[in-house]
Amino acid sequence: MGAFETFAVQAMHGLVYGMLIFMVASGLTLVLGMAGVLNIAHAALYMLGAYFAYSLTLYLGSFWLGLMISPLLVALVAIFIERFFLRKTYAKGHVPQILLTFGLLYVISEIVRMVWGTSPLRLFEPPILTGDIPFMGKTYPIYRLFIIGFSFLILIGMLLFLMRTRIGIIIRAAVHDADMVGALGINVPIYLFGVYAGGAMLAALAGVIAAPFLTIFSGMGDQILLDCFVVIIVGGFGSLLGAFMASVMVGQLQSFGVLWIPQLALVFEFLLMAVVLAVRPTGLFGEEA
Amino acid sequence: MNSSRAYPIGGIVIAAAFLLLAPKILPAMKVHLATEVLIYALWAVSFNLLFGHGGLLPFGFGAPFGVGAYATALLFRYFAGIPLLPTLALVAMLGFATGITIGSLSVRLKGAYFALITFAFQMFLYAIALKWYNVTQGDDGFGVTRPSLYLPVWGNISMTNIADVYYFTLAIVFLAILATYFFQKTPLGNSIALVRENDVRPSFLGYNVYLIRLTVFSVACLLAALAGGLFVFFNEFVSTAVIDMNVSMIVLLMVIIGGSDHFLGPILGAAFYVLVQDWLSSLTSRWFLIMGAIFIVVVFYLEGGLISLIPSKRSQVGATPERG
Repeated sequence: MGAFETFAVQAMHGLVYGMLIFMVASGLTLVLGMAGVLNIAHAALYMLGAYFAYSLTLYLGSFWLGLMISPLLVALVAIFIERFFLRKTYAKGHVPQILLTFGLLYVISEIVRMVWGTSPLRLFEPPILTGDIPFMGKTYPIYRLFIIGFSFLILIGMLLFLMRTRIGIIIRAAVHDADMVGALGINVPIYLFGVYAGGAMLAALAGVIAAPFLTIFSGMGDQILLDCFVVIIVGGFGSLLGAFMASVMVGQLQSFGVLWIPQLALVFEFLLMAVVLAVRPTGLFGEEA
Repeated sequence: MNSSRAYPIGGIVIAAAFLLLAPKILPAMKVHLATEVLIYALWAVSFNLLFGHGGLLPFGFGAPFGVGAYATALLFRYFAGIPLLPTLALVAMLGFATGITIGSLSVRLKGAYFALITFAFQMFLYAIALKWYNVTQGDDGFGVTRPSLYLPVWGNISMTNIADVYYFTLAIVFLAILATYFFQKTPLGNSIALVRENDVRPSFLGYNVYLIRLTVFSVACLLAALAGGLFVFFNEFVSTAVIDMNVSMIVLLMVIIGGSDHFLGPILGAAFYVLVQDWLSSLTSRWFLIMGAIFIVVVFYLEGGLISLIPSKRSQVGATPERG
């Protein structure tokens, strides 16, 4: 096995993880850009997506039904959280929001432990996606190729939606300057509500497709939350393009970090963050704070 | 003396008497708890120097605490017989250096962004503590032996007795908190409050906003590292639990519950946290559920913290300044 093949396989692994991070971070960064809310409970939605899919697959017998229904259920949870908790803190500033969403993360994680137990769960990929295919003289799991394909479809859909539709243009304008968009007579809270639910669905989708290869456990939210933080800081607050670039970078850093220096794989992405912060405190694509 | 002044002075006398006599009147278990309260109180006060006084939310405030804890533990382990007071002084200096390093990259930003970045730095240090197993023993942690204290007049004090540990902690914490109190009254300490209220105007008046924030951040980190050092001195054990995500939430919870608008709020919060946790963990293992619920309740119903429940003239002057 040559060095190039190993390199290619690791790059693919990195891309898989990078796309997962992006699906979670995109909703987080859009809400941060529009409302200035750092919604830490977003990580809990990713986790809930995986757990819901596990139970749905168990009772309905189909991974695909789980993949479709679980995001809808998570969106309902997200709407409930926004309506009854987050909305009341928009006027209060950052500190209560961070406290509140962290409290929600704790509560949801504990409820998950009560309902599904503390031992890790395994969601099996559907038979059609099981196995490996030949890839550059080695084999590569089909399921990971599916993740790459699926997440790129989502990415393209998101781009078309945000760039080509009126709603998308309003959302991007609101990220840029929510007050001005509101002054133009547009009901920004409704759009924020939509972005919030959409982001929740994306996070849940990421949770579902991550489940078969990362296993489901009650700390999975904390893990991705950290990567999302790094992605948002590196990419720039509220910048979707920045989030995408940073997700891919973090994915690759993790993948190659594990290959070269397993002990310090986690350290690389924080080094990246420190370098970006030192050079550009607002992140790669962030506006001046 | 009118009654409005007799009230706080009476409180101070009672509190001082209680703190000094605690090991004599409380059972050993409760003295352990009291020592823990003291250490957390110092940490919460240093947090509030930034949060309540400086208007910055350092979400990753477990970083200097953890650095202090690990530095102390490693010094105890690799330099057997190292004197106690110089160790703590060294650890405090290391905390200051940590503050300069993290602060120089983070204090330019405010609000949620500042919170996020300090938190990411803490997680970076957490990753090192977790993965550098040869030195830190990761999750498992390692035990250390508490060194004895050398004082010029008293000679060597062995520190095997919990009462001695308590009095030593009390002395260090009292001096550190007193120093923090007077630091806030200095022109430098006051200028951070100025920056909190408006960070554009001070720069036009010739203040270097960046340098003020950095200095106060580093001072707070120094105090937090000292608290971390005392924590290891008290527990004789260190693991990643001193620098993980939960410790940042614990200190934030203490400050918010106690009340960040008053200097004594965090101390009250620390006492409340330690005692309630001790009581609850004997009842239920679902401690995180309750902690999360406390967060939510405090955000919605108790914005001023417990200290706002105590009627006083000061707490009614002026509105709560908005942070962001």
